Amino acid sequence: MKFVWFHLMPYPDLPKDFPDRYRSVWVDIDPSLFDPAVGHRVYNEYIDQLEYAASVGFDGVGINEHHSNAYGLMPSPNIIAATLARSTSDAAIVVLGDSVALYNPPIRVAEEMAMLDGISGGRLVAGFPVGSPMDTVFAYGTNPATLRERYHEGMDLIRQAWTSDEVFSFNGRYNKLRYVNVWPRPVQKPHPPIWIPGGGSVDTWDYCAANDLVYCYLSYFGYKAGLATMRGFWDKMVERGKPLNPFQGAFAQFVAVADSEKEAFELYREPAEYFFNSCLHVYAGFADPPGYKTPNTVRAGVEGMVERAAREATARAEAKAAAKDNDKPTMPKSSSASQMMSFETMVEKGYVVLGSPDQVISKLTEVGTSMNVGHLLTLAHFGNMDKELVRYNTEMLARKVLPEVQPLFENDWEDHWWPHPLPSAQRVEPAR
Amino acid sequence: MSAAADASVEVSLTRRSVPFRGGSVTVVEAGQGPRIGYLHGMVGLPANGLAPLMAELAKDHTVLAVALPGFSGSTYCEDLRVQSDWVVALSEIADLVGLTGLPLVASSVGAMLAMELVAVRPEAFAQLVLLAPLGLWDGNEPVADAFATTLSEQRLILSPNRASTAAIFEDNPTVTDSAARIEDGVSRYLTRTSTASLVWPIPEHGLDLRAHLVRCPVTLVWGEQDKLIPPSYDERFAALLPCVVGRHRIAGAGHLTDWDAADEVAAIVRARLG
Repeated sequence: MKFVWFHLMPYPDLPKDFPDRYRSVWVDIDPSLFDPAVGHRVYNEYIDQLEYAASVGFDGVGINEHHSNAYGLMPSPNIIAATLARSTSDAAIVVLGDSVALYNPPIRVAEEMAMLDGISGGRLVAGFPVGSPMDTVFAYGTNPATLRERYHEGMDLIRQAWTSDEVFSFNGRYNKLRYVNVWPRPVQKPHPPIWIPGGGSVDTWDYCAANDLVYCYLSYFGYKAGLATMRGFWDKMVERGKPLNPFQGAFAQFVAVADSEKEAFELYREPAEYFFNSCLHVYAGFADPPGYKTPNTVRAGVEGMVERAAREATARAEAKAAAKDNDKPTMPKSSSASQMMSFETMVEKGYVVLGSPDQVISKLTEVGTSMNVGHLLTLAHFGNMDKELVRYNTEMLARKVLPEVQPLFENDWEDHWWPHPLPSAQRVEPAR
Repeated sequence: MSAAADASVEVSLTRRSVPFRGGSVTVVEAGQGPRIGYLHGMVGLPANGLAPLMAELAKDHTVLAVALPGFSGSTYCEDLRVQSDWVVALSEIADLVGLTGLPLVASSVGAMLAMELVAVRPEAFAQLVLLAPLGLWDGNEPVADAFATTLSEQRLILSPNRASTAAIFEDNPTVTDSAARIEDGVSRYLTRTSTASLVWPIPEHGLDLRAHLVRCPVTLVWGEQDKLIPPSYDERFAALLPCVVGRHRIAGAGHLTDWDAADEVAAIVRARLG
């Protein structure tokens, strides 16, 4: 099993009463809440953390793309990836944006990813999400009715651009290019491995199954809730008679390790509650614009991941409002925190895998085997976690957990979706 | 002010499917008398019976209505990507179903498309009664975003009257089979998708550059409680359209005047068209 140390890059200084005072962490979050000095600090700390993870034994480092979002400060993951391509030497660089439909023309994506593959010596994983509704149809104004067609056309263009041996013309519905000729060419042949981050769309399962791509479920809600979604993907693989190679699956999971479970609860409570209660405070009106879901997904009644986040945020707000309405002298006065999701609930529901190294080894093995996923996107930083704690969590994982879990699947399956860098003799180390 | 179609008044009604680009569009015809066209707005046409304004007008007119592609059971058409695709489709459909040349009552997104079509094809409609048309944008008084809302908020933006939006926001009570209910839900989702595709992200596609070409007589009708498009937009349209022959505001009605105030809108239409 391969471990990718994955960063969302949340803004760490939202006010404590953020869910009470503001409508949403995404799309229309108050611009005045952003302090550029904090941004400067955390961008550098976060890159430090990714570099540290790459240095202590994680197989890869991962980033993604969000827009107008306080829990994801990476409108351009390629910029972060460019720094990592220089500052790391062996780890895979897993870029789980770019959201293809947002780039005009999408050969920009093919070009930048080819550059990243070149600078890193062939360590790039190219992730291509459709993108959340908040990012794509609200922050970037893309028509939800045409988003997926635009995405698929962009995917076709990028793959052709990477693999064609000749200059060619591309006459799409959305992209008309007389001359397609991506320079530089990617190091990896025919192209970097492609992973498709999904949030629960039925058609994304089938797209990955049909095209032999990694289905990557970027859930905030842990392995227990994610099981049904991953099963949906594997069912599509069965329908197509394809092998259930766990390396064709990837899953994101929050993980918190300490010497004991008790200590882990003490250490990680605040950042987890910050993430789940403030960072996921998403206005429900942004979660399900008409046309974003395919008819098949509507028909199947599948709830998207951000839709769930918004629903839970709404439920918390309604519960709080109800408590306020019912506030009587005989009842204990409700505090803001009492209406928030508790850390114990997050752990119980599997949102966060927490415990001693042995407990986490056991649970992550269960995550891998129950979901049949060979790539774990490990979220060891979450919310407003202090940098020392991030380092501790990362180190504990690297030293005490990874060596026990990494052998999972490795002898039984070949990972066709992992980068193939240049041989060492051809690799250039940055001059310092 | 009427909340819904008056079921006690019986008018003749026929419903048929007309082939269109590999699928079909639903055509509804009702009543007897001079022919008049009706082009729906954001909520489409009801799955059963008549839209309230159709029912009113059908008392003394033959009303011909069509559900645009993707709306109300008409086949969703992936080839309609940008507004000009929709305008060409409307032109084609108007010829197919017999709307061409008629006076037309058109609402919201339908009104926007009707103006766009007449601008490039003056013979498309003899005259227009436009009910809260989309198509212009004033950043100081913007059109509301009906889709960055929850469904319950969306209903309130469209109409203060829940009955007016039941067709698009509630399960069809006549559908009882579970599989059919799912498909009914998908159909309503596609109606909202089609509406969204026409207005996303801002319902302004350069109509201000073409409005002077809409030379047929135009009557503008607005609900005073319109939460989607401020009623003051009638002044903006009146300033751009060369032949505005009437402007009306209806107290108590929201964006869906054809559902919220069918009898009053019908009276305006009769007064204008005879």
